[in-house]
Amino acid sequence: MTANTPPGARDGAEVAAAAATPAGSYLRVVGVSKDFADCRALEQVDLEVGKGEIFALLGASGCGKSTLLRVLAGFETPSEGHVILDGEPLDALPPHRRPVNMMFQSYALFPHMSVEKNIAFGLKQEGLRRAEIAERVVEMLTLVRMGEYARRKPDQLSGGQQQRVALARSLIKRPKLLLLDEPMGALDRKLRAQMQIEVVDILRRLGVTCLMVTHDQDEAMTMAGRIAIMERGRIRQVGAPAEVYEKPSCRYSAEFIGSVNLFEGRVSEQFPDHLLITSRSLPYPIRVGYAALVPDAAQVTLAVRPEKMSLSHSPPAQAHNKLSGVIERIAYFGSHSAYYLRTPSGQTVRGVLLNAQRQSGPRFVAGEQAWMAWEADAVVVLPA
Amino acid sequence: MSGRGGAALPRLMLWSGLIFLYAPMVILVVYSFNESRLVTVWGGFSTRWYRALVEDQQMMNAAWRSLQIAFFSATAATLLGTLAGIVMARWGRFRGRTLFSGLITAPLVMPDVIIGLSLLLLFVSLSRWIGWPETRGMLTIWIAHVTFCSAYVAVVISSRLRDFDRSLEEAAMDLGADRLRTFLWVTLPLIAPALIAGWLLAFTLSLDDLVIASFVSGPASTTLPMQVFSSVRLGVTPKINALATLLIALVGIAVLLAGWVLHREQQRARVARSASGD
Amino acid sequence: MKRAPGRERGFAQVARARLRWLVVGPPYLWLLLFFAAPFLIVLKISLAEAQIAMPPFTDLLRWSGEKLSLTLNLANYGFLLSDELYVSAYLNSLRIALNATLLCLLIAYPMAWVIARMPPGRRLVFLMLIILPSWTSFLIRIYAWIGILKNEGLLNEALLALGLIDAPLRILHSEAALYIGIVYAYLPFMLLPLYANLVKLDDRLLEAATDLGAKSHQVFVRVILPLSRSGILAGCMLVFIPAVGEFVIPELLGGAGNLMIGKVLWQEFFNNRDWPVASAVAIVMLLLLMVPIMLLHRYQARELEAR
Repeated sequence: MTANTPPGARDGAEVAAAAATPAGSYLRVVGVSKDFADCRALEQVDLEVGKGEIFALLGASGCGKSTLLRVLAGFETPSEGHVILDGEPLDALPPHRRPVNMMFQSYALFPHMSVEKNIAFGLKQEGLRRAEIAERVVEMLTLVRMGEYARRKPDQLSGGQQQRVALARSLIKRPKLLLLDEPMGALDRKLRAQMQIEVVDILRRLGVTCLMVTHDQDEAMTMAGRIAIMERGRIRQVGAPAEVYEKPSCRYSAEFIGSVNLFEGRVSEQFPDHLLITSRSLPYPIRVGYAALVPDAAQVTLAVRPEKMSLSHSPPAQAHNKLSGVIERIAYFGSHSAYYLRTPSGQTVRGVLLNAQRQSGPRFVAGEQAWMAWEADAVVVLPA
Repeated sequence: MSGRGGAALPRLMLWSGLIFLYAPMVILVVYSFNESRLVTVWGGFSTRWYRALVEDQQMMNAAWRSLQIAFFSATAATLLGTLAGIVMARWGRFRGRTLFSGLITAPLVMPDVIIGLSLLLLFVSLSRWIGWPETRGMLTIWIAHVTFCSAYVAVVISSRLRDFDRSLEEAAMDLGADRLRTFLWVTLPLIAPALIAGWLLAFTLSLDDLVIASFVSGPASTTLPMQVFSSVRLGVTPKINALATLLIALVGIAVLLAGWVLHREQQRARVARSASGD
Repeated sequence: MKRAPGRERGFAQVARARLRWLVVGPPYLWLLLFFAAPFLIVLKISLAEAQIAMPPFTDLLRWSGEKLSLTLNLANYGFLLSDELYVSAYLNSLRIALNATLLCLLIAYPMAWVIARMPPGRRLVFLMLIILPSWTSFLIRIYAWIGILKNEGLLNEALLALGLIDAPLRILHSEAALYIGIVYAYLPFMLLPLYANLVKLDDRLLEAATDLGAKSHQVFVRVILPLSRSGILAGCMLVFIPAVGEFVIPELLGGAGNLMIGKVLWQEFFNNRDWPVASAVAIVMLLLLMVPIMLLHRYQARELEAR
């Protein structure tokens, strides 16, 4: 529909990688804070989003992500800071004058209007000719595959259909920025996975810049090119899904996305290409496969993802990065199993093994002694 | 306690309560067709009291006057009450809010005799100071009715607005509609049922008022309740039964109609949804 | 596009302030003029003296030559307090309204409970059945009871026919008739707030209480009753306040022995044409009702508050 539709947008991974690097900053949020009567919902938020990017704000409920979305839509006035979209400041514009449209969490479809009237609503406000409105509504209905339901009322549609209509309604004005508020929040699990793919597909095809808010990490990781993790009104980390997962920058984002084993330690030796760290809870030193900018003898936190752990009955040959303990509990998830190892120091360490083969019996049983080991590259150094 | 079987006593109370509410009305209706003038004696089926009612010119005039007053009072009260309801439900704190909400609540419970007396004294004083209103009549009754009816409408509207999903209004603004258009195209159609309910409530309240109208009416502006009251004071007359029957029938038909429309809408939505599931 | 944003905001603010006035102004001014201001006039006239003229009361401020004199006549209030008739009418009204309110509560609570526990579709039907009578005429519904309660009325005839009594009971013009009338007329006003409150009660709370070993009367006293307190309060105020000043019911169903203050005010005004005393009666009634009205107002404000 628009000129910058990526040609042959088949390879999703390639497009995602391209979108991950912001092509200039199309949306800029500069030092935005928001105070309510009893609390500060946003604290000096800075954010840059590139044109055509799908960007997710991820955080627990009450972290301020929805407030930021409402500031962008114009429903809340920030106490401090500015919002700039495509070079134009938005601060003085009321919601109805902003080139920003939003898909609401509960969809907010007008119950007294048919599907086509709902979709046409935005264009009617612009005072377009009737013929043009009709043409663009049909175009949108086709895009979201709702053509045959044009005359239905919202309460006569299923959840997935309502969402398609809401998406069409928020896209028809060709907004410079599309806001999605918990886009899959009202759908059941099965439908959610299907709609995530469908929505991303439509957004990519139109090349629309999109900022979404969600508390569901799977949703953020599958839909967005980049993610910002928010906590208590602040942005903790911004990056592509793989970056945020593999290289968390702080304890909060390491723990918020996926699960993680954390070890407290002190830097004992620094080398040009690696570090050695000793931890009171582990008998062997930890080798980190890269040089981090930390002072000597600094207190640090080390993060290792459970799936980076290998499990064995006999002690591993390596001198570093291993521990032993008793298997306390095994949780079977079908595709994989999680093993909880209790070390002599009392820490429980989690390891995940893929159940790649159909097994006649378990390789490990609860109660037996086992070893865990991990690669030097698997360790992430976080400030303590 | 919450189960189906355990609540026998409350269930019995519900049904006896309903019988208590409806028995007097059923009796009224039955005896409106009684040939005899006496309440307790059944003299055979007859419609003579309906004829007598229609031929009672005073009663008919009063009814027509009351209907006019009720129509105009309900309309004005819906206008004022809607504005007040919006202020109550949608505005946060503002200067004078406490007084404002007091002015909405108080008329709901204020004894009629106090409202009637105070308005009459206001009208008398106003006409002495500024020469208006010159006489008391339909205009003063209208003012009085608008005053207390708009409080009821305000409560109906504001409770509807409170249940109303605000993101619908935000969606409209987000799509480019300013405040006024959002109100006209989204809010108003969605609170329309409450507006109708508010108007009907105001209409019946106005049609029903005896005490306030008695205070503020003039010599040539007897309303239907005043007329009924003066004949009831003299004792039971089957003409009033006939009038009551007509009123009950009217309300009954209106409610059945509304219920039927509502039911059909719900049915249609349900059928369409089950046919479209994905 | 390149307008100064500050200026534009200024215009928008002026326009919005004007719009706000357009919204709040008409109802505010109307209610101030026709609901609040009249009370001041009632207060003023309650301090005047009655005279045989039109209007039948004296001015408080009088201009005689060069002297401006203000006369506040407290005699009307003194008269109210000293005359047995008025004092007993006030006390009667409060007592009867209180008893009737409690009766309403006792009858309406189980009804509201049963309706609130019904499936949603049935709830609406029963709610409608409760409200329906109040959409017909109040006056006519009270009138209906005259035919039932009078000496040769239906109730007495039925009781006589059943052989339960030998001579007709004198119910009409007794205090019992007053209670029947008030409960009959005001039952929906008690039931609706109770229902609105009870319908929000989460069934799981009751199940949790039962699960934790509470017997059904304990569940009622410890869980249901405290949670429905605000509904009870609202219902009671909605019945009590107007019942104190009720005129039609004591006039048609009550008798000489149970005078209520609403009727006294009416007679003072229409029969004795003593406007100052009627005003004083109204002011004292208003003072008595101030506390219940405030209670109701607090509840109402919370219910209507925008979150």
